[in-house]
Amino acid sequence: MRKRLVLLFGILASFTLVAAACGNSGSTTAATTTTVATTSTTAAPNPNADFNVGLTFDIGGKGDQSFNDSAAAGVDKAVADFGVTQTDVEPNADGSDRAQILQLQAEQSNIVLAIGFLFADDVANVAADNPKVPFAVIDDPMLNFDTKPPSPRGDNIAGLTFAEEQGSFLVGVAAALTTKTKEVGFLGGVSGFGLIEKFQAGYEAGVKAVDPSIKVVSQYITQFPDFDGFISPDRGKEIAAAMFDGGADIVYAAAGSSGGGMFQAAKEYRDANGTTVWGIGVDSDQYNTVDPSVQDTVLTSMIKHVDVAVYQAIKSVLDGTFAPGQTVYDLSVDGVGYSTSGDFLSADTIAQIEKFKAQIIDGTIVVPTVPT
Amino acid sequence: MTAVTKPSASTNFFIRLQNVSAPIRWMFVAAAGMLALTFVAQFGKGDPGLLTSSSASGAMIRWAAPILLAGLGGLFSERAGVVNIGLEGMMILGTWGAAWGGINYGPWWALVIAASFGALGGLLHAIATVSFGVDHIISGVAINILAPGVTRYLSDQIFTGYKGGSVSQSPGAGHFSRFNVPFLSGGDSLLGWKSPNTLGWIDKKNWFFVSDVSALIRGMFVQISWFTVIAYLLVPISGFVLWRTRFGLRVRISGERPSAGESLGVNIYYHKYMAVIISGAFSGLAGAFIVLELTGFYRQGQTTSRGYIGLAALIFGNWRPGGVLMGALVFGYPFGLALRDLGGDATQNLLLVIAIALGVVLIWAVRRRKRADSLLAGGLGGIILIWYVLSTSAPKWLPNTMPYVMVLLTLIFLSQHLRMPADDGRIYRKGET
Repeated sequence: MRKRLVLLFGILASFTLVAAACGNSGSTTAATTTTVATTSTTAAPNPNADFNVGLTFDIGGKGDQSFNDSAAAGVDKAVADFGVTQTDVEPNADGSDRAQILQLQAEQSNIVLAIGFLFADDVANVAADNPKVPFAVIDDPMLNFDTKPPSPRGDNIAGLTFAEEQGSFLVGVAAALTTKTKEVGFLGGVSGFGLIEKFQAGYEAGVKAVDPSIKVVSQYITQFPDFDGFISPDRGKEIAAAMFDGGADIVYAAAGSSGGGMFQAAKEYRDANGTTVWGIGVDSDQYNTVDPSVQDTVLTSMIKHVDVAVYQAIKSVLDGTFAPGQTVYDLSVDGVGYSTSGDFLSADTIAQIEKFKAQIIDGTIVVPTVPT
Repeated sequence: MTAVTKPSASTNFFIRLQNVSAPIRWMFVAAAGMLALTFVAQFGKGDPGLLTSSSASGAMIRWAAPILLAGLGGLFSERAGVVNIGLEGMMILGTWGAAWGGINYGPWWALVIAASFGALGGLLHAIATVSFGVDHIISGVAINILAPGVTRYLSDQIFTGYKGGSVSQSPGAGHFSRFNVPFLSGGDSLLGWKSPNTLGWIDKKNWFFVSDVSALIRGMFVQISWFTVIAYLLVPISGFVLWRTRFGLRVRISGERPSAGESLGVNIYYHKYMAVIISGAFSGLAGAFIVLELTGFYRQGQTTSRGYIGLAALIFGNWRPGGVLMGALVFGYPFGLALRDLGGDATQNLLLVIAIALGVVLIWAVRRRKRADSLLAGGLGGIILIWYVLSTSAPKWLPNTMPYVMVLLTLIFLSQHLRMPADDGRIYRKGET
């Protein structure tokens, strides 16, 4: 009896060990598995098998169903197309280890992608210590504006920025053509550091381009350096509700995850008052990412193709064309755009938007980047 | 200053105010506050009508509720002598529990599950502080660090599998149905009968003060849910339990003189445990309020330090339920107002309200011959008044800063009147004298 028990324990113990070993290998090589898969289908040795992409999110970034997940999608595409590998990390809760995780990524990667302008200064420092590794920062030009003309902050640093004002202009046109109350709202996440003002300026210009008599009410959730405005859906909801109560029937939120509160507000306003009000999403096609119950309030979304920028950056390192300094992704290269999921925009509206889009691309319309 | 020398009716008035019972005192303060608001709404710069609108008071009720619930949670814990800085972490657990419960079992179960999640955090705090004698602050901070990690892990395990969910966010958690209170705010049709909107009718008359007050009160009863009612009912319930029941007396002795209580046969450990667990449950409800009433879904980091503000309300309110309610409303009002204030005029006129409040403090301090207090109140009030007159818009950070400023001012002017439980924050060991 005792012998049997010992045997049973032995078997159990070895099982646990094997399971643990599998667990370990599973998690460390989660990314590599994709590579194996691609190599087997192409049946050729993968030239990029030891090329690693260091995807570095910011606090709470992964899983935001927007900006950061869009970056992850771009990396996934590169993994599928080029057979590279990827490692993603995220800083601790207060972001105090940003520099360390960048250094970690620099040691194990062939390109470090820093998702978000909050990385700008840490990237400049870490890139100087790792001159052989290219770095790309999303949403910061990574230029030294003290020199004339501005020069890159390092020979291995690229800044990938977007012409958010152009995309916002187009959704502003959509809002102006859809509003019935002749009043629309803009909900900004954090003011005072220049980025979200670009959204506001473009949106207001787009609305006014269609009909100068339409009123635009704009409100920000917090002020720089308080970045809570991007993670406060409750405050976003209250502000959006105030805008709907005040007579606006469309609100455009450029407020990160706080925008989710706006869609909730739109839904509740519809339920309580029976009138149709809309929200406009940002960064990714939010029709596909919001909760299904509020999906029918997403008029359109201003899409920022972070995936395209990330993909291009990886590609440029692979084919040796990596260029330091700022690269702007605008309408002409499809860096920004708008979505039509849900088919809430009429064909007529889309035709008008396309007309404005062509005018922006050919330079007839220059979209302002600072609100008037 | 000559007027100070002769005793006057108002001296007696201030002294008398300190002797009346707490509810009457607070009602008087509330009425004075409303009068100041009405005055500013009528005569302030720009278009400050929002100050006394039903929209502002409705926002106040919503934004004060999580602070209130967290503050009441702190009240139970600190009355039992356990400082609970882990309110924030327990609130975070509550937000997750509410979302998970709301998605799977509906809003009522969301409340139960959120309270249980918070209570689990409270239990952990009680085990650490009461049984093992860990420093209260250290245990609380540990819970605040632990909670976001636990909820993120749980989200990764569960919410990522839901449509519209991710590692940092849940899908829509649903909410309670909302209603207007009949008779007062034109309730919805009850059995096909439309209730009169009494307060709305008075509001439309534009009578000075009367209409403003009725608008403010009306806002408190518009589009509320049973959860809001429960949250505010917990104030008198907490007061009753702590001051009118045997259990409450024993909880309070645990926070005042535990050794004396023990000598009379009170099980101090048990009462400290219960109080801290109740504290956690209340914090969980605070988190649930954010999810079910304010946001509609769980989002990582959405409590934005409101647990600490709840503690501030507790100190502001002198460790009493009525005071916690007043503190929560005073902190919630500018916060909700600023969000509703699309034009920016109302927030700026809040400066004038603060200046008036400091003016009242000045009169009080002069009457009581408190030189330092008078100088401080006069100086601050003067600076704010000049700021108000010269500025065209209030800084946007003002409403977020208000709770901290209010607590600092309270501590400065009322520190001699504040009395925390005598044994609050000390580690108690059974059998010690």
